[in-house]
Amino acid sequence: MAANYNAEPLLEVKGLKQYFTVSKTFMVKAVDDVSFKVYPGETYGLVGESGSGKSTIGRSIIRLYDPTAGTITFNGMDISGKMSRQTQKDLRVMMQMVFQDPMASLNPRKKIKDIIGEALDIHNVCKSAAERDEKVEAILTKVGLAKEHADRYPHQFSGGQRQRVGIARALILNPKLIIADECISALDVSIQAQVVNLMKDIQEELGTAYLFIAHDLSMVKYISDRIGVLHLGHLLETGTTDEIFNNPVHPYTKSLLSAIPIPNPELEKNRIALNYDYKTSGIDYTKGTEHLIDGTHYVKCTDEEYAKWTK
Amino acid sequence: MSEEKKRKKILEVKDLDITFETTAGNVHAIRGVNIDLYQGETVAIVGESGSGKSVTMRAAMGILAKNAVVNKGEIIYRYCDNIGGIDYNPEYDENAVWKEADILKMDKKWIRKHINGRRIAMVFQDPMTSLDPTMTIGKQIMEGMIWHYKIDKQDAYNRAVGLLKEVGIEDAEKRMKQYPHQLSGGMRQRVVIAIALSCNPDLLICDEPTTALDVNIQAKILELIKKVQKERDIAVIYITHDLGVVAKVADYVNVMYAGKIVEVGNINEIFYDPRHPYTWGLLSAMPDLGTDDERLYTIPGSPPNLLHEKEGDAFAPRNAYALEIDDKLDPPMFEITDTHSAATWLLDPRAPKVEMPKELKLRIERMKKEAQANGSEL
Repeated sequence: MAANYNAEPLLEVKGLKQYFTVSKTFMVKAVDDVSFKVYPGETYGLVGESGSGKSTIGRSIIRLYDPTAGTITFNGMDISGKMSRQTQKDLRVMMQMVFQDPMASLNPRKKIKDIIGEALDIHNVCKSAAERDEKVEAILTKVGLAKEHADRYPHQFSGGQRQRVGIARALILNPKLIIADECISALDVSIQAQVVNLMKDIQEELGTAYLFIAHDLSMVKYISDRIGVLHLGHLLETGTTDEIFNNPVHPYTKSLLSAIPIPNPELEKNRIALNYDYKTSGIDYTKGTEHLIDGTHYVKCTDEEYAKWTK
Repeated sequence: MSEEKKRKKILEVKDLDITFETTAGNVHAIRGVNIDLYQGETVAIVGESGSGKSVTMRAAMGILAKNAVVNKGEIIYRYCDNIGGIDYNPEYDENAVWKEADILKMDKKWIRKHINGRRIAMVFQDPMTSLDPTMTIGKQIMEGMIWHYKIDKQDAYNRAVGLLKEVGIEDAEKRMKQYPHQLSGGMRQRVVIAIALSCNPDLLICDEPTTALDVNIQAKILELIKKVQKERDIAVIYITHDLGVVAKVADYVNVMYAGKIVEVGNINEIFYDPRHPYTWGLLSAMPDLGTDDERLYTIPGSPPNLLHEKEGDAFAPRNAYALEIDDKLDPPMFEITDTHSAATWLLDPRAPKVEMPKELKLRIERMKKEAQANGSEL
């Protein structure tokens, strides 16, 4: 099932701000005026360096934080302010999260079937224990594990298998959106590819949308339909994967792309990555507004910058 | 690396074999590793986690865990007794006395005094865990120089400030008084590099130096290490799993799998003419920004558990090109050129002729074309 861009967006984030008060005089603006949309069945990749606010956005959307300002609309429901009981329940079913470190996010004292089945118990989905076991087994096979694995504990698995358990747990309630927060960065390179391929297969079969948060641009390129580039809490550039990779406009995006090492020694040996320093670049993110490049490609900048960069 | 200059071998790992004794049984982590390293050159060791790349380098530093048993092998380190103090450079001394030592046979005290930090320095993956959070940056850089060379404090201070400038830290005097938590990740790694360079080592071992950093900082750190290496003419060993990093920095590449080196060659041989199926797999699995493939290639299965040793080639169960003999006999190293050899039965004259996967072949041809377009002679 391919992404459906004609439908209503599944998730719409408008002017999201997330500030943290550190002391009376100091406030961290982790996310500052970020807007984007995720359509049903698509993968939206959020990239940025550490401290750019990409994880904070994920956590604000799933409401682990209370957003300071802005609206978040998910599946037609407003989830940014105080939610009604029903909205809260729907949100907890339809939006799920996969975390970075599978060992830290799985309870070491629980069996895999109880870790995965916990959501079924909480939401009273199954009428009998047999039905629950059946559902857990079905989801295990879907993520490439065997049903014998259901009775094991997390420490008996390898890193890649543990992340598969994490994905199974997120999938069990058949959610519409999965937020994957750096879900492959803790894995070995060859295993990363296996997990990315698995996520793609599941998307094709079930039509789940992903908000894929990562700092590894080369992996993001493989999985994402559209990409948003974050820096210091501002969404600087967004567009389809092709638009971002073939025609980056913002200097920060350019420096980010040039920093990816090319696995071609004769080319890479003498190449120097582009340098970008916010302090000396003369760009003020807070003054920027959204400018359309073409299609779905937007960049956040002032009018003069826009004229300069697109020349 | 000019041809006229004679290459000076400074480290030689010969047939190293290490077992770890654990409660679950003996883990045969290193199974016969050979590595040669010459002055001023960069060697990369590539492999998945658990392939033994870090253990090999820890052995060379004499900092193996207590439960490690060296079954056989030698690590010959060639060094010059620099009686001349911290700035002594044997290059300019005709009477320099070169000595050889087998690090595995030396006692801990000798290694601590003569090797660790002084002649072989190491940069670890996570800068926050390798720096002491309770000591100022300056003190940590000065510590090694004062301990090894007994220079006075003022001299050490001046040198430390110079080092910080060399690794690209501004306001060096101010930074000297700061603590590690006051610096960003990239800055911390620069400090770690400054500490590693403080005693003028001959050899720098970088164990995944950029894995914990962002891409744009990674590029800067790699460029920094390269610059320092050139200026000081030291040898560098990179331990990494990122082939993009390898392409940027390495002169020679060792591909490790399950405690063995399966392919070794110079950088162009490994990237443009790989021979071992595992190297094929690694190269194919790299995300390639140049293509629009829908799926990533993956090497099926996962690395073997070295607790249970397998007869024959350890890679055979994951190898689509495995021959019958692979299940019975571990392949020896087959030489392809002077610098290039690989451990796979496919190179035996009796083996059926097997070509690398078609996708990889196309990709390598494209890489070559791109390189030629940029003026390289391949």
